[in-house]
Amino acid sequence: MSDWMRKVLESKRATRQRLQALSFSEKLKLLEKLRDRSLMIAQSPVRRRQHPKG
Amino acid sequence: MKATLEVINRMQEEGHIGKYAIGGAVGATFYLEPSATLDIDIFVSLNNPQGSSLLTLMPIYDYLTSRGYKTEKKYLVIEGWPVQFLPPGDALEEEALQQAVETEVEGVRTWVITAEHLVAMALKTARAKDFARILQFVEAGVLDADKLDSILKRHGLLEKWEQFGVKFLLGPDPSGRGIP
Repeated sequence: MSDWMRKVLESKRATRQRLQALSFSEKLKLLEKLRDRSLMIAQSPVRRRQHPKG
Repeated sequence: MKATLEVINRMQEEGHIGKYAIGGAVGATFYLEPSATLDIDIFVSLNNPQGSSLLTLMPIYDYLTSRGYKTEKKYLVIEGWPVQFLPPGDALEEEALQQAVETEVEGVRTWVITAEHLVAMALKTARAKDFARILQFVEAGVLDADKLDSILKRHGLLEKWEQFGVKFLLGPDPSGRGIP
């Protein structure tokens, strides 16, 4: 594994631990932001063009 | 989310529902890092209408729709969040509901299913996303092994857990046969 990849994985692990340690209330606020973003992406005309119906 | 929980708490205070607990991805967020979800799973014990032995979600629907909340497929949209109310479907879910842990969201009291019960329920449901969530719990190191073991034993899930372990926790099977 390259140093670069090792750093990426360590950083990812540290971020997950930091997020895990937040209070439930803080996590739910982040979850609401994630949901809003998911809905925005789902409604994007670009995404709709990429997945035509039928 | 706070406003959603306040509405559910009011339903409980007014006797329309009994004990409730958050499960699914939102419940898992109590123990893990937040992961995107579009809805809230609420496990709920229902108060039977007087003289009826039939458990029905109708009182919940009636209560909420009469207050202007809309239905959307299997969900009731409460203060912006689609909520699915799930009466316990088996002994595991009933136990999970009874043993849920009390917590607060911005000062609002609520209950969340324990990490070990969430794992057992995910193991039972056994979709790809359930296995991914179990792995998250294992990697996060938040599980009480003894407690999980006793839940799995009590609900006949030990064999499934062993299969999960071989497939996802111990790496590839050197014989190449895998789990049938």
